[in-house]
Amino acid sequence: MKMFPPILASTTGCLWVLVQGLCQAEPPSAEALSFFESRIRPLLAERCYECHSQQKEVKGGLALDSRQGWEKGGDSGPALVPGKPSESLLIGAVEYHNKEMQMPPKKRLPDSEIALLVQWVNMGAPDPRDGAAPAPSEARVTDWETEKQFWAFQPVLRPEVPEVKNATWVNNPIDAFILARLEKEGLTPSAPASKETLLRRISLDLTGLPPTPEERKAFLDDARPDAFQRLVDRLLESPRYGERWGRHWLDVARYSDCNGMDENLTYHQAFRYRDYVVNSFQQDKPYDQFVREQIAGDLLPESAPGSRRERLIATGFLSIGPKMLAEDDPVKLQMDVIDEQVDSIGKAFLGMTFGCARCHDHKIDPIPTADYYALAGIFKSTRTMQKLSVVARWHERPLGTPEEVEAWNRHKTAFTEAGQALEKEKRAATQALPEAVRKAGGNLEKHFPEAVRLKLKAMREEGDRLATQFPPLDFAMAVEEAKPENIRIHYRGSHLTQGQEVSRGFPKILSHSQQTPPPENQSGRLQLADWLASPANPLTARVMVNRVWHWHFGAGIVRTPDYFGKLGERPTHPELLDWLADEFVRSGWSIKHLHRLIVGSATWRMSVSSSPKATQQDPENKLWSHFNRQRMDAESLRDSLLFVAGKLDLTQGGSLIPPSKNPMDGGRLSNVGKAVDPSLFQTNRRSLYLPVVRSEVYEVLSAFDFADPSTVSGERQSTIVAPQALFLMNHRFVAENARSMAEAILREESTDDARIQGLYLRVLGRTARPEEREAALRFLTRYSAAWTAAQPERTSEAGLRSWQSLCRSLLSSNEFLFVE
Amino acid sequence: MNLPPSHLSRRDWLRQCATGFGSVALSHLLSQDALAGALQPKAPHFPAKAKRVIFLFMHGGPSQVDTFDYKPLLQRDHGKPLPFALPRVVSSKTGTLLRSPWNFSQHGQSGAWVSDLFPHLATCVDDLCFIHSMHCSNSRHGAAVLELCTGSDTFIRPSMGSWISYGLGTESQNLPSFITLCPNPSLGGSNAYGSAFLPADHQGTPVGNVTTPTSRAKIPFIENSEKTPLHLQREELDFLESLNRAHLQNRATDDRLEARIHSFELAFRMQASVPDLQDLSSESPQTQKAYGLDNPVTENFGRQCLLARRLIEQGVRFVQCSHSYKWDQHASLQKDHTRNAAEVDLPIAALLRDLRERGLLEDTLVLWGGEFGRTPVAQGGDGRDHNPHGYTMWMAGGGVRPGFRYGQTDDYGFYATENKVHVHDLHATMLHLLGMDHKRLTYRHAGRNFRLTDVHGHVVHDILA
Repeated sequence: MKMFPPILASTTGCLWVLVQGLCQAEPPSAEALSFFESRIRPLLAERCYECHSQQKEVKGGLALDSRQGWEKGGDSGPALVPGKPSESLLIGAVEYHNKEMQMPPKKRLPDSEIALLVQWVNMGAPDPRDGAAPAPSEARVTDWETEKQFWAFQPVLRPEVPEVKNATWVNNPIDAFILARLEKEGLTPSAPASKETLLRRISLDLTGLPPTPEERKAFLDDARPDAFQRLVDRLLESPRYGERWGRHWLDVARYSDCNGMDENLTYHQAFRYRDYVVNSFQQDKPYDQFVREQIAGDLLPESAPGSRRERLIATGFLSIGPKMLAEDDPVKLQMDVIDEQVDSIGKAFLGMTFGCARCHDHKIDPIPTADYYALAGIFKSTRTMQKLSVVARWHERPLGTPEEVEAWNRHKTAFTEAGQALEKEKRAATQALPEAVRKAGGNLEKHFPEAVRLKLKAMREEGDRLATQFPPLDFAMAVEEAKPENIRIHYRGSHLTQGQEVSRGFPKILSHSQQTPPPENQSGRLQLADWLASPANPLTARVMVNRVWHWHFGAGIVRTPDYFGKLGERPTHPELLDWLADEFVRSGWSIKHLHRLIVGSATWRMSVSSSPKATQQDPENKLWSHFNRQRMDAESLRDSLLFVAGKLDLTQGGSLIPPSKNPMDGGRLSNVGKAVDPSLFQTNRRSLYLPVVRSEVYEVLSAFDFADPSTVSGERQSTIVAPQALFLMNHRFVAENARSMAEAILREESTDDARIQGLYLRVLGRTARPEEREAALRFLTRYSAAWTAAQPERTSEAGLRSWQSLCRSLLSSNEFLFVE
Repeated sequence: MNLPPSHLSRRDWLRQCATGFGSVALSHLLSQDALAGALQPKAPHFPAKAKRVIFLFMHGGPSQVDTFDYKPLLQRDHGKPLPFALPRVVSSKTGTLLRSPWNFSQHGQSGAWVSDLFPHLATCVDDLCFIHSMHCSNSRHGAAVLELCTGSDTFIRPSMGSWISYGLGTESQNLPSFITLCPNPSLGGSNAYGSAFLPADHQGTPVGNVTTPTSRAKIPFIENSEKTPLHLQREELDFLESLNRAHLQNRATDDRLEARIHSFELAFRMQASVPDLQDLSSESPQTQKAYGLDNPVTENFGRQCLLARRLIEQGVRFVQCSHSYKWDQHASLQKDHTRNAAEVDLPIAALLRDLRERGLLEDTLVLWGGEFGRTPVAQGGDGRDHNPHGYTMWMAGGGVRPGFRYGQTDDYGFYATENKVHVHDLHATMLHLLGMDHKRLTYRHAGRNFRLTDVHGHVVHDILA
């Protein structure tokens, strides 16, 4: 476990020996030496040498078989302070006071032996054993020049667009990169998808909803050469686009409407961050600005009216992570919150796992612990939490004008004082009761004099009145600058074993020309935001273009979208990735520009069918010889079901969580012995507006692999399991939507042929072939007869039931669930 | 990463999945063409003593010094101050030593001490292996539950049930590999039985939750909301299959499409078999009585225990029963510990006996305990605070030494002092009993091989039979 460069370590080591040597000018007395030899040396040998001697092992860098060994000490510093047992780490460890360091680990020493050690330290720790101090353990030298050669740390350089043989296939440079590889491997791109297929693909991709029959007709009838571009432009302007792509980012941002973990407090204000993300995508906010706002929005100058409000909300990214709010150790709690922030930033923006370096130098990637604590210092200097004592609470910031804030604060003071006055009154009345009554316990108030009870009642009513009459003022989960401070390296991640202090800063491996070090008097968040959002940062643009590619194609150019480190996947097309990253930055970090490029490519428009050769040679389709068939994600499935049933409520934004009665305490959506109220989810709003409850994700979404809202997730799983089938077969949600569809089609069309045609158009986006119509008609007859036989008293329902069953079959079909 | 890319064959996909796991019996894995590749039964690393686990979770933190960790000095020194320091971090303010209000006596050949709280379990002590020196890192429920169930009180990690499912798959045709009965949605919530970054097939399937009586707890979506008769549903599924088969023409290279067709068949089978499985009236009256189904006090947990036996008989790998968040006696220790013990004592004893009689105890590991224990010092006059520093859990069956006591706390039962067993060690030992090396059961995620025990854990060899 190497904590700082060895050159520094050995220097300090030498100095220590030197200083200690000078201090120990006076040789120990014969009596002291005899005590050591008879009582201490055997004790150390028997109890400690096994793990702490140069002959056997030097765990934690500590050797106890020489004076120099304990003088230099292990990773946590000198083991003894002669004369001061209470300041000596070794004594603390054998006394088992500190849970992080209990020695010997298996069993506490007998009290008599501990007493001997204390006595020895009190005597000044006389020790005649001379020997060399052990070298720092597990020294690792980071060779920065070599490390920087790794592809992900290399600067982004715009590569030449390659020449290809079949130049007519190429729509834009993406295709040239893809085709050049295919040609080299002897593969040919699959044929373009049909217009009908493309329409369904692009609609679900950009908006998360299938096309309507009217949209289908309009597109198929549009013979203009730029019909597809026009379609893309229209979809990108649709409010459904921001909802769909904002939700992708919310996976990365581990968005949730409550804390999860232990104390599942409701995040009543989180929805503002969600709506901010949706709006940012909708407006095609430059991605570098989007990054800056989420890291340091509160510190950016006001650029337009309303921008301050929006930017405060943006810093919610730093606040909405899960926190252990009932941690009894406030220092650990704060470090855990900081860790969650550092780790999430690393994964979300850089594809790096900084979290590993909390406890030790990253074993794989060049992220030393010192770099971790340099970043952590920035967040130690940032106020994320309002209080750290159990139950802890995050910080919220008001969004109003100064006058509104002041009025609100005045009211809050009145409200708080009313509560205090009530408590005071109650205490006084309790004191006035006879002791026997007080001791008996139970509800004491019934023993109070009537006048007091009436007064208390009035005071309670006043409190309730004040609680409901707060002047309107919005709050956001947001951070704020705190006292700037550096922190010390925490060995093994524990704040109880600390090493040297580290200046706030950024990971060395990603140092680039456009960075400003954090000034002394600021947290460094603003500089961190600039450093992340710099075109010179080799990872930020690469990671984001890869995410966008992944969300379009179902797999990335780097197939580990949250991890670009050494054990991650290498890019399948490194030049394409760099070309896209460079193009992205040049376009002003425009996400919509990326969309247009990608969906405008011949690559994205290929059909899903692949040649036997491609299947054989490239089974994972890493060369993109065809499009990947994709299973709908959870939200697309739920939203599309509602949409084709004509029931989707397209209201945008806001919170579906009932406001809390107490403005000071948001309460919990689920609690000890209390499950989430299922009625929270009984709405026809789009899925992204459903409350995200970390401890209990809505079962319908979780059945279809909704992202774990507690961690950064750039990719969803896509399982096919029996509970999903059970959901479609049995759930009320599916039954009701199928029934609505059936009712509508029976109402709207007069012939069975037209009805079947209408259902196919709505659900599958295509017409039914004659044999499909025949099969559907036969099924309706069969089902209707079976229904009548089974429930003769409900024969009148047979027609509707059979149509409902037909609708559910189409909604359950592979053709509906998989996008081609 | 875990989805089979469209044209990767199922066989290739399985092979790829399998490379993440050391000594999986690949041929076995590939020989069966079932849909749930991830859940195929897998051979362990080495011959296993236990094939499955029943975890009896006493949520809230039962008191070790009032149940199984007898401390004569605590009885003697009642009212005196604790003669050594409190931990650096505590949850609540506590006072002087509080003697146990219950009498202890020795039982069985092994002479294990059990308090009056567990008269029925006392008759089973020769099957039990007590670990008196458990300790964990966190003094709060949520964090300690997560630590017990996932190994981490800081990060979201896969739960032990999902690790075991990942390692061994399931032997059930119709059921998930990991089922948790009536879990608590809070204090850890679904993260305590989730699969985190492991494939979702391995996550615990909750049957009901803490608000549901066991008699009404159901597998999600198993009940048809419109009570459609099965043969009508069959009619619909046949039609659906014909749609899917037609769609499959020219798409046969994508195994997911075929897998999804199978998933509806499996769902239909599950739906047909699960209600029978949950219908405990088919058990003999003697069995029902033995588990306490005839008594409102024991009925609810008795159902969980009986259901657990029926689930493992069906091949489910890991079943968790939750006596949910009842054991947190900061106050009212006498009354509430009495009630809690009465609710679980008889059913647990019945479960152990039933497993033994059916020859299942041999290769079923039963684990009992809470997320931490309680302090020997008093909170108020009749309560105890959380104590993660020393507490008791016990195991039975599945290759542990029966009638054995391991580890010790200090004279008052506060700190584990001898042969300490951390939760990581418990996990390492459980995996060992199931035939898996906790250092080799790994999953590659975010560039790192993760394990249940992270970088910790030692197998406690002394408690192996």
